[in-house]
Amino acid sequence: MLAMTTMTPDLDIPGSQSTPAIQSHWQAGRLAMQGDSYPENSYELFDQVIAWVRRFLETERRPLRLELALVYLNTSSVKAMMDIFDLLEDAHEKGRAVSVEWRYDPRNERIAELADEFREDCSYPFAIVPAAAPA
Amino acid sequence: MDLLSMRESYERDRIMLCFNGPISRSLIEEIGKALRNYLDTQQATPSSAMDVFAVYIEMTQNIRHYARRQGYDDRQASATVAVAQDAEGHYLVSAGNLVEEADGERLVRTIESLAALDRAELKAAYKRQLRRPRDAEGDAGAGLGLLDMARKSSHPLEASLQPLPSRQSFFSLTATI
Repeated sequence: MLAMTTMTPDLDIPGSQSTPAIQSHWQAGRLAMQGDSYPENSYELFDQVIAWVRRFLETERRPLRLELALVYLNTSSVKAMMDIFDLLEDAHEKGRAVSVEWRYDPRNERIAELADEFREDCSYPFAIVPAAAPA
Repeated sequence: MDLLSMRESYERDRIMLCFNGPISRSLIEEIGKALRNYLDTQQATPSSAMDVFAVYIEMTQNIRHYARRQGYDDRQASATVAVAQDAEGHYLVSAGNLVEEADGERLVRTIESLAALDRAELKAAYKRQLRRPRDAEGDAGAGLGLLDMARKSSHPLEASLQPLPSRQSFFSLTATI
């Protein structure tokens, strides 16, 4: 029998000065974001990311891993990211394997502080990793 | 135009960058880019450069959101923005805009109440505000930005309100990083 899975299309959004680059990989169970995020209305950008995460967690049983290299987030983006981390937290409480790895340039401690404040509200693996900035 | 007196006033107030006029989304980005480049040449540490940039973004985006909610035209939505450095080397980020008198008074009260909070209380208030439902935010939308600015400042935020003949007031806000 041929089983058709209903796959949500992957995201591949190029970054701009005020918005991060975003790639989702449904097959690999991975979502990645890099760069600055300070659009005026972050939900215009993040609604589709939130929808992808929600759909993945509802449809699949496989682990989901977030790979972040976000730098500066305005408060509107912080709010949207918190919604994503909350979805992961709900899934984790139901026994799902979810994790976050946030890489940052160790010269800028503000990024680690920002990531750490998100981590305070998460009980799943959340790594904050100093890493050299990409050339 | 008396450019010399403008220049003298900028120099006296140690203004590194300033802008006056209708502020668009792309203008916020372009001025922000110039600000970052400038801070880079001033050898500001990456974290203080990011704090200055962050405060600038929250201030100007608050002005844009407010002007849009009020349905202001370009003239009414115009913003006055300045970034300066004080004698001790602290960065000052200031922005001013027209507000309805009652809104301005409410804003000033909110900002004065933040001055009484210590770091831990500001953080708790910020996290509470962050968890308010998206739709319930409405007018309080500025609240999260103000808390963020207060957390990034080394001194309490300073706000003032100057009444104008039009039943509107000129609201100005300064953060010291």
